[in-house]
Amino acid sequence: MTRFPLLSRIRFRDAGTLLGLILISLVFAFKSDVFLTQPNLINILQQSAINACIALGMTLVIISGGIDLSVGPVAALSAVLGAAMLVAGVPVPLAIAGALATGAFCGFLNGALITWGGLQPFIVTLGGLSLYRALALIYTGGQPIFGLPDGFRAFTNGSLAGIPNPVVIVAVLALLAWVILNKTPLGEYFMAVGGNPEAARIAGVPVTLTKLAAYMISGLMAAVAAMVLIGRLGAAEPTLGTLWELDAIAAAAIGGASLMGGRGSILGTLIGCIILGTLRNGLTLLNVQAFYQLLATGIIIIVAMLIDKATSGKQGG
Amino acid sequence: MTARLTLKDITKSYGPVQVLHGVALVVQPGEVHGLLGENGAGKSTLLNILSGVIGKDGGSVEIDGAAVQIGSPREATAAGIAMIHQELQQVPELSVAQNIYLGAALRRAGGLVVDRAAQEAEARRLLAPLDATIDVTAPVRGLRVAQRQIVEIAKALRANAKIIAMDEPTSSLTPKEFERLVEVIKTLTARGVSIIYVSHKMDEVFRLCQQATILRDGRLIGQVPIPQTPVAQVIETMVGRELAHASHRSFATDQVLMQVQGLGRDTAVQDASFDLHAGEVLGIAGLVGSGRTELLRLLAGVDRADAGRIEVLGQQPGNGPRARIKAGLGLVPEERKRDGIIRHRPVASNIGLPAMHKFTRLGMIRKAFLKARAEELMREVRLRPFDVTRPIGSFSGGNQQKAIIGRWLASDTRIFLFDEPTRGIDVGAKAEIYDLIEKLAAEGRAVIVVSSEMPEVIRVSDRVLVMREGRISATLGPDQITEAAIARNAIPA
Repeated sequence: MTRFPLLSRIRFRDAGTLLGLILISLVFAFKSDVFLTQPNLINILQQSAINACIALGMTLVIISGGIDLSVGPVAALSAVLGAAMLVAGVPVPLAIAGALATGAFCGFLNGALITWGGLQPFIVTLGGLSLYRALALIYTGGQPIFGLPDGFRAFTNGSLAGIPNPVVIVAVLALLAWVILNKTPLGEYFMAVGGNPEAARIAGVPVTLTKLAAYMISGLMAAVAAMVLIGRLGAAEPTLGTLWELDAIAAAAIGGASLMGGRGSILGTLIGCIILGTLRNGLTLLNVQAFYQLLATGIIIIVAMLIDKATSGKQGG
Repeated sequence: MTARLTLKDITKSYGPVQVLHGVALVVQPGEVHGLLGENGAGKSTLLNILSGVIGKDGGSVEIDGAAVQIGSPREATAAGIAMIHQELQQVPELSVAQNIYLGAALRRAGGLVVDRAAQEAEARRLLAPLDATIDVTAPVRGLRVAQRQIVEIAKALRANAKIIAMDEPTSSLTPKEFERLVEVIKTLTARGVSIIYVSHKMDEVFRLCQQATILRDGRLIGQVPIPQTPVAQVIETMVGRELAHASHRSFATDQVLMQVQGLGRDTAVQDASFDLHAGEVLGIAGLVGSGRTELLRLLAGVDRADAGRIEVLGQQPGNGPRARIKAGLGLVPEERKRDGIIRHRPVASNIGLPAMHKFTRLGMIRKAFLKARAEELMREVRLRPFDVTRPIGSFSGGNQQKAIIGRWLASDTRIFLFDEPTRGIDVGAKAEIYDLIEKLAAEGRAVIVVSSEMPEVIRVSDRVLVMREGRISATLGPDQITEAAIARNAIPA
């Protein structure tokens, strides 16, 4: 403990998030017979996968001192463009690549306006929120795109050793994000730029490229989430992804990401996503009305932040 | 005579760590009382207890012989205690008068409306003996630090403060502004107000104080009369050891490392030209605002020059900090918190930041290697506590400074640019920083030191450039470096 205080502190924070998850799960396990069954647990993971995908990118953006409100519409635009390519007969890998490129390009655009344009991340991505949604709606005329080929759908609807492919995909992406954040110079740059942009610049950190990378990863992750979703649904709706940004920010915050930048945890964000997913699943099992589910979500977020505040003060001393 | 303020047996612990061990402080009416000690000696904790920001564990506070309870900043104000913080606590957008009456607005119409006219008239009356040139209707944002300090003092007078504690009040004042402050303090003490004066600068303490209380490691070491006690003795008492008064040694060579020609930006820096040699320590002296910091920032690529050129070993480096770092320049900035450290990151990460490529293999940071290198560098400079995995924000200013210097050592920096290298650093750590600068020079690196403290410039420099209103007004060789010569060239005609 004393030899690696920083290490133990990060673990301490993640352990706290995990404890929260365990407590919530215990309550549901007592109240419902179905909750702890294997199909239901896998179901929770599957339901959390999309949010987790978005939240991973969001976490990196938040750590680098920004915010990305445009993730939902970026997902929608990537979804409809990808779907249009698939329906037009473009080979599946190429269509997926096209959709991912769309997401990354939207992220690049956000990042470019924030860095070279010198605009506030909140405002830029708020603009993006409308802009990308509008493009998706205009392109489709507001109609969903149906008829996605089975070859594409098989990929997202399949499973690996009993685990649904979306969960496997997110697990791999989370591992990648964890490696980027904790093991590569880019991760160190994310934390430096988010922690103190001016000091980072003076220390020779390529601040502009770092921010661009964060937003591009976020856009890319939104596109991945879009592919997973339209594979499952079999159609791409231009309105998909509404309010995704809020779930993702909530998961990152529950997981310990500081909206001031500089701090956050991939593991924490993942557990945060599962907490939100568990809550929805458990409350649905208990037949709690949707309105009350929303109430519970709000309370969990605020309670998590209060606990965070109360404990981090003591840790800091 | 009853003492104005008597603190007895003050104790304070944070968890298992006791930071104050039965400290006492006795201040007489109208006295300027120095509170001295290295960083971490407990001065700030004591002031925070006095001003009600934190609670004490034990001990008593008496004002004019009567015991008082100070449980909150409000109670401290009511008891007649005011605190002038190092970082002034004002609302920049509000006017001078509004800031003076912040939280205690004068009202009319049955308390419904703030009486601005009355506030402004009162503010003018309060400011008249301190600095009549301050416009009470102007927003505080536009004032210089020295003027904002005076506004803070006026605010203390408005609250009928009997005791005003000043924490490092001169850290960003010019010599002229300091003189102004001396006058203000005299005005205050003539009215019977007692001043608690916290400063690292011995010349100021000896100029202003009648008594000084010295703390070390949270313990009261003693109270000494000033100026009867010799400076050296005061410093020794503070640090608990004798400081080496090493005479200056020069390692300057003839090899030109960097050539600067006609460098400029707006009017802040104009036509700066000089050579820098390997092994040389080049001091840059001048008043605050004379362009010293700006010149360093141009060299480090933090700001972009609009005129002139730089050559490092015959090569012209690119623009921006990254290109300059590659060319071998490294800036140790004055505002460590703002421009230097990444607070939440470990010391090792802060050290490795500019030279990540050196600590990376196949795209992955070699954490163990980085930690080992950081430990090697920090062992040499005696980082305390010696733990490079701790967040840098949890270290004292002096130790943060060592880490920032370590950052450039890890990056093979050849030209060190120091901006006020010992600002906010205690006396003991100062000597260590001076030793480090000498060592850098001995290794054949070149060092530029910008400093407002003349003894510092004189102590470390082989050569001194004096700046005045954006221009280099004089270059002083080894046998020309005197306070008088620096002052003569620094002060505008």
